[in-house]
Amino acid sequence: MSLKSERRGIHVDQSELLCKKGCGYYGNPAWQGFCSKCWREEYHKARQKQIQEDWELAERLQREEEEAFASSQSSQGAQSLTFSKFEEKKTNEKTRKVTTVKKFFSASSRVGAKKAEIQEAKAPSPSINRQTSIETDRVSKEFIEFLKTFHKTGQEIYKQTKLFLEAMHYKRDLSIEEQSECTQDFYQNVAERMQTRGKVPPERVEKIMDQIEKYIMTRLYKYVFCPETTDDEKKDLAIQKRIRALHWVTPQMLCVPVNEEIPEVSDMVVKAITDIIEMDSKRVPRDKLACITKCSKHIFNAIKITKNEPASADDFLPTLIYIVLKGNPPRLQSNIQYITRFCNPSRLMTGEDGYYFTNLCCAVAFIEKLDAQSLNLSQEDFDRYMSGQTSPRKQESENWSPDACLGVKQMYKNLDLLSQLNERQERIMNEAKKLEKDLIDWTDGIAKEVQDIVEKYPLEIRPPNQSVAAIDSENVENDKLPPPLQPQVYAG
Amino acid sequence: AAAGGGGAAAGRTYSFKVVLLGEGCVGKTSLVLRYCENKFNDKHITTLQASFLTKKLNIGGKRVNLAIWDTAGQERFHALGPIYYRDSNGAILVYDITDEDSFQKVKNWVKELRKMLGNEICLCIVGNKVDLEKERHVSIQEAESYAESVGAKHYHTSAKQNKGIEELFLDLCKRMIETAQVDERAKGNGSSQPGAARRGVQIIDDEPQAQSVGGGCC
Repeated sequence: MSLKSERRGIHVDQSELLCKKGCGYYGNPAWQGFCSKCWREEYHKARQKQIQEDWELAERLQREEEEAFASSQSSQGAQSLTFSKFEEKKTNEKTRKVTTVKKFFSASSRVGAKKAEIQEAKAPSPSINRQTSIETDRVSKEFIEFLKTFHKTGQEIYKQTKLFLEAMHYKRDLSIEEQSECTQDFYQNVAERMQTRGKVPPERVEKIMDQIEKYIMTRLYKYVFCPETTDDEKKDLAIQKRIRALHWVTPQMLCVPVNEEIPEVSDMVVKAITDIIEMDSKRVPRDKLACITKCSKHIFNAIKITKNEPASADDFLPTLIYIVLKGNPPRLQSNIQYITRFCNPSRLMTGEDGYYFTNLCCAVAFIEKLDAQSLNLSQEDFDRYMSGQTSPRKQESENWSPDACLGVKQMYKNLDLLSQLNERQERIMNEAKKLEKDLIDWTDGIAKEVQDIVEKYPLEIRPPNQSVAAIDSENVENDKLPPPLQPQVYAG
Repeated sequence: AAAGGGGAAAGRTYSFKVVLLGEGCVGKTSLVLRYCENKFNDKHITTLQASFLTKKLNIGGKRVNLAIWDTAGQERFHALGPIYYRDSNGAILVYDITDEDSFQKVKNWVKELRKMLGNEICLCIVGNKVDLEKERHVSIQEAESYAESVGAKHYHTSAKQNKGIEELFLDLCKRMIETAQVDERAKGNGSSQPGAARRGVQIIDDEPQAQSVGGGCC
């Protein structure tokens, strides 16, 4: 603390007020202690030199990193980052810290100590991969290029940023809260200086601040992200385990207003999950925030398609919780802590990004505290699901795992459909056979009936009935008629 | 609130964060959509979401950037309130005049807000859906006297008929500006507030500066 207060004081010496070149005029801190004339002369030279130095430094760094990478590759093989290696990294970092402190005290002059320490920091450690250094170099280059457009202000900013990074180097053994405090102070001071001294318009200040954040945080990331002095890592593992234990939570329990059966919606859900997982791969707090914002936009789209109205917080938060549960993003707590500690506060407090970040914090808090009541379940059901005795999905006859990929789910659905079709087909075949049999039976029946009737009433061909005989036939009732008159012969 | 009231000198822009609290179905979303888009239950609402909306205002020459944060109103999310309303300058607590329960919820929130944020936050209690006056279940006297007792202002609104909403937000902004100015003056008088102290600190690392100048020069 004493170091801090000492540094913040302003010491003014008579010699410091005069131009450093000794021309006798008064110098100005804004011109690095030169008078206006000497400054103009020096400015160009110094700037060129500084840029060149930066380049040389960057190149040397890269060479060293490459060598280190090659040697670590050959000695350790191309094995992936296993836990033992992770442990090794931690011990490496610890021992390095110890030597740092030793050197800090033993070195004769401060400049010497600093040089040694910088050298050491640059000294390759196997844990830092090559990719990192390339990215650092690229960001530095971009930052210098960007500042060039601001001429004098840019120069001033570059100087301050460098000083800050050097100061942070000494503060590496302080608690993470103190380091965060220093960074926040730096953001505030740089922004204020730009506005009051540099007369930079607010929109541009914001732009420059973004670049500064990118530059310093790319460099500080490996020291201040999930530092071993905190229990961030433990919290990461705890939330990861918790989310895994809650794998059985369904969208219905959370009242998520998203219908994943609509293909566009399930597409949005997948994109949202990808975005939130991607957050861990970014190094700059602002980039991490951008991932959360992108994720949120996809959620809004999913809600809009399902409900056809703009999403309110009542819709958004449950959906975000669902996405976090489904995605189980890596190192969630570390990322949240890192953003809180090292993001430019103006962005985090009032902006849109800040709103989504707050919602993510809410989602995590909810998941941590979630109980039977918050899912509208009975305590017994909740306990049974938590212990894995039963799964609510079984009851819905969806017995594939909830985190199976969409293709597998679709396949199961199709299989289900096919078996249903099969059943129907069989049913139809049976019906058809039955119908066929019925038809045959019917014809048989009819034939039998006809035969029966035919048998019952056999066809008799009787001789034509007399009554039917023609009246005028010769023998009509011939028996009843008197015999025909016989011709009689009368004498007469 | 120090961050929210940032840049309070004359002619500068005020940035305020306002949280929207209220049970589901009291019409929070309709209220804010009516204010920001002047639409109600409309198919032509352009915004994708109504959970975070901004509005730029000019009140008597003072520019105000208003960020309106909607909060999830379901009972199960009640405990998350403090994460939402941290650092907010104002809170709009909405209840449905036809729903006594929603008014009780407002009372709970007020208690919590006063406990967590003290008197720095401007509270507005809003009875929405006055178009359903016939079905009113919360008495006007009760609501207004309650608001007065907790140092909040009471408003009657109807998102459907666009009543009282413009006034609500305008009034709130004026009150937040006042609070910010009082705050600013207190800091200007050299009070030992942590925010003010931090603002005054300048990192001028004279020693390293001298070194780097030396290095850069020759």
